[in-house]
Amino acid sequence: MRIRLLAFASAGDVLGSPETDLEVPAGTRVAELGAVLTQRWPALGPLWPRLAVAVDGELARPDAPLAENSEVALLPPVSGG
Amino acid sequence: MFAALTEEAIAAEAVVARVAHPSRGAVVLFLGTVRNRHDERQVVSIHYAAYRPLAERVLARIAAELESEHQGAVAIVHRLGEVAAGQASVAIAVAAPHRAAAYAASRQALERLKREAPIWKREHYAGGESAWREEESLVPGR
Repeated sequence: MRIRLLAFASAGDVLGSPETDLEVPAGTRVAELGAVLTQRWPALGPLWPRLAVAVDGELARPDAPLAENSEVALLPPVSGG
Repeated sequence: MFAALTEEAIAAEAVVARVAHPSRGAVVLFLGTVRNRHDERQVVSIHYAAYRPLAERVLARIAAELESEHQGAVAIVHRLGEVAAGQASVAIAVAAPHRAAAYAASRQALERLKREAPIWKREHYAGGESAWREEESLVPGR
């Protein structure tokens, strides 16, 4: 299935683009995304444990399933203010 | 309640006007400005980026929850894009009937924003280098 991947700050630098369409196995859960992504972008490996993940605009738990056309956002530690 | 992200310079008086009311005798305005130093490096400007739809909802949720907790009015405005050293990157205005609640809500708004809002700063240094600052692991709201 196809998902839309948004990547912010250092995660965006690693992916080389703030937005990427990505094919992932059907039924992939948030926690399983790390392995899928680091296979394609090995430099994401050290970042992954520190990332929060939002699915369709809300922070998602590791066991949350992805669906066709989900918008998945990779959110490194934040620094607003 | 008012919460916004903006590419424009923050007009502090306009943020205060969002919360001021004759029934609220205490108004606290907090401005966060871009510091010109980080460790030993000279900071020229900071670029702010956000996951905009979620950041807007988080700021609105923080403002709404603090309003009901402190019986006051809360407005939060955060800059996006390039902000020069010395310029305001965030404004928080709180108005409440009495000062204790206004001071408390002001501080809580900033502390929560720093942990809950998907906003990132990239510092630009004298000499042309730049670096993301990634400080607080993002946590869901309470």
